[in-house]
Amino acid sequence: MRALTIAATGMSAQQMRVETISNNLANMSTTGYNPRRAEFADLHYQQMARAGSVNASDGTVLPTGVQLGLGVRPAAVSVHLQQGSLSATQGDLDVAIDGQGYLEVTLPSGQTAYTRDGGLKRTGEGLIVTSEGFAVGPEITIPADARSISINSDGEVYAYFDEAAAGQLLGQFTLIGFTNSKGLEAIGSNMFLETEASGPALVSSPGQDGLGTLRQGYLEDSSVDAVREITELIEAQRGYEMNAKVISAVDQMMSATTQVR
Amino acid sequence: MESTGYITLSRQTGLQREMQVVANNIANAATTGFRAEGVIFSEYVKPVERGASLSMGQGNIGKTSFEQGGLRQTNSTFDFAIEGDGYFVVQTPMGDRLTRAGAFSPSAEGQLVTPDGFPVLDAGRAPLFVPAGAGTLAVSSDGTLSMDGAPLGQMAIVRPLEPLGMIREDGVMFRADAGDEPAEDARVLQGFIENSNVNPLLELSRMIEVQRAYEMGQSFLQTEDERIRAAVKTLTDSN
Repeated sequence: MRALTIAATGMSAQQMRVETISNNLANMSTTGYNPRRAEFADLHYQQMARAGSVNASDGTVLPTGVQLGLGVRPAAVSVHLQQGSLSATQGDLDVAIDGQGYLEVTLPSGQTAYTRDGGLKRTGEGLIVTSEGFAVGPEITIPADARSISINSDGEVYAYFDEAAAGQLLGQFTLIGFTNSKGLEAIGSNMFLETEASGPALVSSPGQDGLGTLRQGYLEDSSVDAVREITELIEAQRGYEMNAKVISAVDQMMSATTQVR
Repeated sequence: MESTGYITLSRQTGLQREMQVVANNIANAATTGFRAEGVIFSEYVKPVERGASLSMGQGNIGKTSFEQGGLRQTNSTFDFAIEGDGYFVVQTPMGDRLTRAGAFSPSAEGQLVTPDGFPVLDAGRAPLFVPAGAGTLAVSSDGTLSMDGAPLGQMAIVRPLEPLGMIREDGVMFRADAGDEPAEDARVLQGFIENSNVNPLLELSRMIEVQRAYEMGQSFLQTEDERIRAAVKTLTDSN
């Protein structure tokens, strides 16, 4: 009875959907998080009687045939890219990206990662880093005696000192764009790596190439919509139960078969 | 010759087949653009030498439900749904295929592709390109893609000439060997995807029906078995 294995593929698909939903809900307060959605596709078909095969000597052909599907498979878990709302934090190193771009992060291995989490910090030496302590590219160091710093929408970082009214330009953040941002590989801690699917990183500046601008004193909220996720969860749970029902029905059919001598 | 067993067997085989179809429909109740399928039983009549003819039930005709599936709003720029009778055309290594699953994304080269990486074709059967980064993608109801007002191309929206003869392939795709024609009355919606058109209630009731019919067949076989046993016993005892 193939119906057993078919229902099993259905159960594992719904389970994967629940896992995706629970990860979205768990990250509903994660800065810059975009929800994921599990996509499914049907498995291949067994052609029991091929449509169009000749059925009689006078050339009558079968109009439809019999095609038995073998279940479902996960096709993709795609990121649902959308701008999260911005919430004011007043932090002078909190920058939200209002657009599609990513900030550049240098990992300890020397590899470059990308993030939308703009909750930046500074080290003891004044270097601007992410919450994990990785340098944000290009490296910008804030002098210890700076009274305040300001980051404008173009990503230029200015430091203000007690003795001078005019700010001193320390550097400018870059913003990175990708042809297919959905193709980035998530590595956790709000960071992504470039892949074959994402295409090469297009290095640019805030306010250019449609990558968006920076906003100091704001952080981007998670764009998870709790109501949508809960509705999906209900659907997934019922889907799981229905597939389980198929399994128990097939089980009863098989037990009916074994009872016949 | 005793043919009751064979007649019941033809029914049981068909029911198993139908159960498999029901299981596949339920497993794909969350598959974007999936079309539910069904089995139709037909009678196979065999004349016998004396008396009435034998009739067997064969589950040998497949049917696909082309009913519109529910539309789910995702607000995602690259999600498309077709309202009405129409299909997107996808280029695969085996040839062009039709699909209703419109959860596309741009590839690294800027092509519009399906989750499996196959390019989506335009009305002239060439892959569609979406420029990198900048601009907002919009689509008109006839499938014309534009970015910030500049047209990029028109997605092919077609209708198979023989919908019943389409062969299902994995990845929610259909092969239309009989050819296709442009679908005039189909509308493309952006930010929506079409749910599977499987009706779970209907499938569950079908499942129960199939299960009970199968059990009925088995108990019939059992009664038949007992009858033959009794007959053999009576005949041998009289000796």
